Amino acid sequence: MDKSKRQFLQGSGAVIAGISLYMLANGKVAGEQQTGTIKYAMLHDENKCIGCNACADNCRKVNKVPEGVARLEIIRTGPFGEYPNQFYHFTRKSCEQCEDSPCVHVCPTGAAFKDEKTGIVSVNSWKCVGCQYCLAACPYHIRFINPVTKAADKCDFCRETQLKEGKKPACVEACPTKALVFGDLNDPNSEIVKALEENPVYRNKRDLGTHPKLFRIQAKQGGINV
Amino acid sequence: MSPFHFEHLIWHWPIAFYLFFAGVSGGAMFFAVLLKNFTLRGEAAYKSGFVQAACLVAPVTVMAGLGILVTDLTKPLHFWKIMVFYNLTSVMSVGVIILCIYMVFMFLWIALVFRPVIDDWCRSRFPWVLKLSAFLSRSEATITGLLVILALALGAYTGFLLSALPGYPMLKNPVLPILFLLSALSSGAAASLLGGVLLKGNPDGREVHMIHKIEIPLIMVEMVAIFTFFLGLVLTGGQAKVAAANALGFGFWGVVFWVGILLVGLSVPLAMNLFMTATAKRRFAYVAGTATCSLIGVILLRHFILYAGQMTIA
Repeated sequence: MDKSKRQFLQGSGAVIAGISLYMLANGKVAGEQQTGTIKYAMLHDENKCIGCNACADNCRKVNKVPEGVARLEIIRTGPFGEYPNQFYHFTRKSCEQCEDSPCVHVCPTGAAFKDEKTGIVSVNSWKCVGCQYCLAACPYHIRFINPVTKAADKCDFCRETQLKEGKKPACVEACPTKALVFGDLNDPNSEIVKALEENPVYRNKRDLGTHPKLFRIQAKQGGINV
Repeated sequence: MSPFHFEHLIWHWPIAFYLFFAGVSGGAMFFAVLLKNFTLRGEAAYKSGFVQAACLVAPVTVMAGLGILVTDLTKPLHFWKIMVFYNLTSVMSVGVIILCIYMVFMFLWIALVFRPVIDDWCRSRFPWVLKLSAFLSRSEATITGLLVILALALGAYTGFLLSALPGYPMLKNPVLPILFLLSALSSGAAASLLGGVLLKGNPDGREVHMIHKIEIPLIMVEMVAIFTFFLGLVLTGGQAKVAAANALGFGFWGVVFWVGILLVGLSVPLAMNLFMTATAKRRFAYVAGTATCSLIGVILLRHFILYAGQMTIA
């Protein structure tokens, strides 16, 4: 009995040491950011947005998003101010394309993944089993179950549709006021890098450390909420 | 706000039952090992109603939990993909690995407990089984040790599963796995006690005395963990504080917490355990009643954490 106990302790000690060494060795590799050639991001200028929903409509059309769910919504708040100088605020609700994405970390099958070439957080709908862990993990609550494919779904900057054809995302193309800028953060000459340098921008829930890549220019007529 | 339907609610009651069942299974195995190796040392453990109950409860609950989990997927028939593709940064994926290995060791250990029965039955029919059981029995210490580790991991993992959700400030809480582990152990103990007395185990037996002795500090530490859990939320401030206020307020889930969990689930069993240790000769109704209160408390705790946790977003 004592001998077998010793054996158990030795064996489990060896297993634990092995696992720790493996994780230490791997941890270094995992800690390094994947430096892809492209890192796509988007900027929504809330000053220019007029809430026409052309972006959301085109997204639905291009990506064949069924009724009842949406990859992209424009949330309207207001009206603010005194008549006749009233105005609304429009904010974009869609995937924030986190650099450090909770949905990718929690997905048990790897169906939620970050594309190495473009940095776009995407879903492999075949691999997805629909555990909805990613829906719960997303701090922006923008993931949904697609009623047709039964897989988790969300905005992927039109990676599967428009980008494949060399075009800009559907929402960007549809915007009549050019409130949306899309481009590569790693390219210093891109339109989005210039826009980010010229404007004060904000991002949602930065304190959670997810590093979202959906930037926003706050509407000027803003109230202060404490 | 309806207590069972609100915005940003993603995981519903089937998940709460899964969390409960996984915990009961791990807890029951933990106490079965304690009973066999410490209370019934050297005796035929399989004759104890409480060990029998634990060996019945553990496989039934873990498989019921997995069944619930699979049917709750939006693509239930694709569940095998979770067992083929792994992602080691995912708590759920790690949990699936733990569950699979746990089930293997659970069945091996149960087979070892019932080895005399199995050997007798197989002696004339399948003599090769005896060789197998003799081989297993040589590794009994290893199997037992790993089973205990896996059972504890199973109890804690359901807590980690929820604490990996940054979108819900109440769930993203480091105390949650510890709280879930403690309540998993007490639910396993309660299920073994309830099953044991139902299987004609002696309500005043050594097994009951032993489990009750452990349950008293267990419940007290559980109360400390709950206190730490919520005080941590309040001291964190911001949405975490809002979450604590929403959960503990006068709404439906607030009542579930104060009456169902603190009073019925923890205070009553604690008082009954202390009372039974101090004076009474244990009777069927005492043991069964106390265990039922504990089990109700843990079922309610799983629902409370899951629903109240999703009520407030970051």
